[in-house]
Amino acid sequence: MKAHPAKQLNNMGMSGALPSSLAGLPPSLEDTYSKLSDSQPAFVENELTTRPFTHSSSSGVVGPMFSSSPGYSTDLHHSSLSPHDKQSKNTHFLSPTFGNIASLPLPYSSNNGPIPSTTPTHYSKGNSASWHADSLNSFLDLPTSNPIDSSQVESSACNIMASEDYSKQNNWQEWADQLISDDDTLTSNWNDILVDNIQDLEPKVPKSSSQFPAGHQQLPASSGENHVGATPSSSANSAPAKPRMRWTPELHEAFVDAVNQLGGSERATPKGVLKLMKVEGLTIYHVKSHLQKYRTARYRPESSEGSSEKKLGTIEEMPSLDLKTGIEITEALRMQMEVQKRLHEQLEIQRNLQLRIEEQGRYLQMMFEKQCKSGGIEPFKASSSAIDSTSGVSSDAMKDSPAKSEMEATPVDLCSSGPHQANGNATAEKKSLEVNGKQDAPEDPKQLASESEDSGHPPKRPRTDE
Amino acid sequence: MKFGKRLKQQIQDSLPEWRDKFLSYKELKKLVKLISAAPTRRNESWRSRNESLKYGKAESDFVYLLDIEIDKFNGFFMEQEEEFVIRHENLKQKIKRVVDLWGPNGIHPSEENYKEEMEKIRKAIVDFHGEMVLLVNYSNINYTGLAKILKKYDKRTGGLLRLPFIQKVLVQPFFTTDIISNLVKECESIIDTVFPAEEAAERAKEAIVVAGEGIFRNTVKALLTMQEIRKGSSTQSPFSLPPLNLPDSDLIQSIQLNAAVPIV
Repeated sequence: MKAHPAKQLNNMGMSGALPSSLAGLPPSLEDTYSKLSDSQPAFVENELTTRPFTHSSSSGVVGPMFSSSPGYSTDLHHSSLSPHDKQSKNTHFLSPTFGNIASLPLPYSSNNGPIPSTTPTHYSKGNSASWHADSLNSFLDLPTSNPIDSSQVESSACNIMASEDYSKQNNWQEWADQLISDDDTLTSNWNDILVDNIQDLEPKVPKSSSQFPAGHQQLPASSGENHVGATPSSSANSAPAKPRMRWTPELHEAFVDAVNQLGGSERATPKGVLKLMKVEGLTIYHVKSHLQKYRTARYRPESSEGSSEKKLGTIEEMPSLDLKTGIEITEALRMQMEVQKRLHEQLEIQRNLQLRIEEQGRYLQMMFEKQCKSGGIEPFKASSSAIDSTSGVSSDAMKDSPAKSEMEATPVDLCSSGPHQANGNATAEKKSLEVNGKQDAPEDPKQLASESEDSGHPPKRPRTDE
Repeated sequence: MKFGKRLKQQIQDSLPEWRDKFLSYKELKKLVKLISAAPTRRNESWRSRNESLKYGKAESDFVYLLDIEIDKFNGFFMEQEEEFVIRHENLKQKIKRVVDLWGPNGIHPSEENYKEEMEKIRKAIVDFHGEMVLLVNYSNINYTGLAKILKKYDKRTGGLLRLPFIQKVLVQPFFTTDIISNLVKECESIIDTVFPAEEAAERAKEAIVVAGEGIFRNTVKALLTMQEIRKGSSTQSPFSLPPLNLPDSDLIQSIQLNAAVPIV
């Protein structure tokens, strides 16, 4: 699980920076998140008119924070809402903290210099959201040794970095330290601070976060599971756990090891588990909610298996089951297993087909764009219409191209061969499925791509010769 | 409305807590209709600024809704996935304990105890397997719905939303079902250790009725629905899936019919 700490820091900075635009209108932000459905159009106008809908840049912010899942590595279009959640969470998280700091007398025991004099004044509630962002940015830029504009900030930050004896009582300083420092203990220390701050946050965060769609989702789930009741206010704990962590079996194994080392699920604390696991990007919230789930699953293994059946009313027919012999039940289970296996197989096959269809579509698109680029035609329209409909439409689009006979011929050829090819492949696969009955996913996607490539190459060559 | 109806059926047949986690296909379809009802093709959109703005807004609204749906899928899917990962580990450990205790090397328990315990375990595993498969099915059906609605959108509005959007969907957590699929396969291999050797017992019809409830029923329905959905689309294109051919579809159909007998 590789996460680049520097990158991580930058992302935190970025996600901290973004609220500067949102925090400029706090009332509308609150409104948006309190009545999500109502203010949808307003929100949409605000966000989507300022940037195109394929805004992967900001969504990508959230990416590297996660662990092994490949889906998070590149542009995250889906999280167009979640970064907003995260940002507003950050906003809410930041402002209370800063607000608290402003009200507290700051005992900067070790660090003197510009910070105590300048920063507390800036951390008045509300107005200085942009300054927060800027300060964050400048602090975070330090490890990557970027030139810093504000010399004051630089010197003070350097002071922080230089001094070893930062007082633990000063939450803000520790937090800033942790943000700056580049070692692996960053996350765990940050989480310590989060835990320390949780008393401050809990009254404030749940109010706003419980209205997020993500938090909304987690609330029914966690409350449904929380039979044990030992952990208080599960909503407050689970809601900030966005962005979601993808718990792979390996990660879970590490978790279980850590828990066992600490003496079992009841004894283990989230903090301890987090420290033992030493996984980058894992926050204490993730561990907390996972531990909760783990505990409930452990102490009610029977009911967790049987809960779904209860809801489906099978529990009432238990008496009738007793009348059947063991063999019949086993046979019934076997049959159930067969059907389930079958379904799973078909699902896998279907999914692979879907993937390859899209891959081919994308490939064709690329080919068209390449061809059109050199021909100087409008690429997008021609390619998509060619893919989605018959070749007749595409030939119209090709009329504008310069009168190179090969150029005119080749896109049309490709176009006409494309759909047929796709169909041919699909039917071929179907036939092979029928013949072979059960089998794993058919040929490699590579094979399919190479087939397309072969047909693509001949048209290309005469053109490049010229 | 064929897919819409099938989706509705599937939702009704699924586990209760899942029912609101599926794609809101109907709403999205309505939105598409609404958008296409005010016909503003890209070419002519500069006729009036209002129209072009409306078009842009409609598209962004649509995308916004889709994003919300996708977030919903992701959240639910990962939550379930997490649970399944935990339960899988627990099951494995439990089975290990039982096998060690009462297996060939361990002590010999009473016949009844052993039977009961093993039956419980078997049922637990098979149902667990089924639940996971249903989650994969959930993922797939939502993906299919998304693909369909995007296709409709492009068709109705002449937009070009489908291709780039679906590329993004493909990498979403809810569609990358590798973890669950691996768990399913692991389950299948564990099953062999828990089930007795294949006996040449004839499959009693009562067995089919008994098994026709609960998770089993759901998986049967899911399978049949999948077959129906892929039966043959009105719009054949390089992006349609070929029809599904299940070798035992008759048997499966009979299971469903038998299960129609209510035993609640």
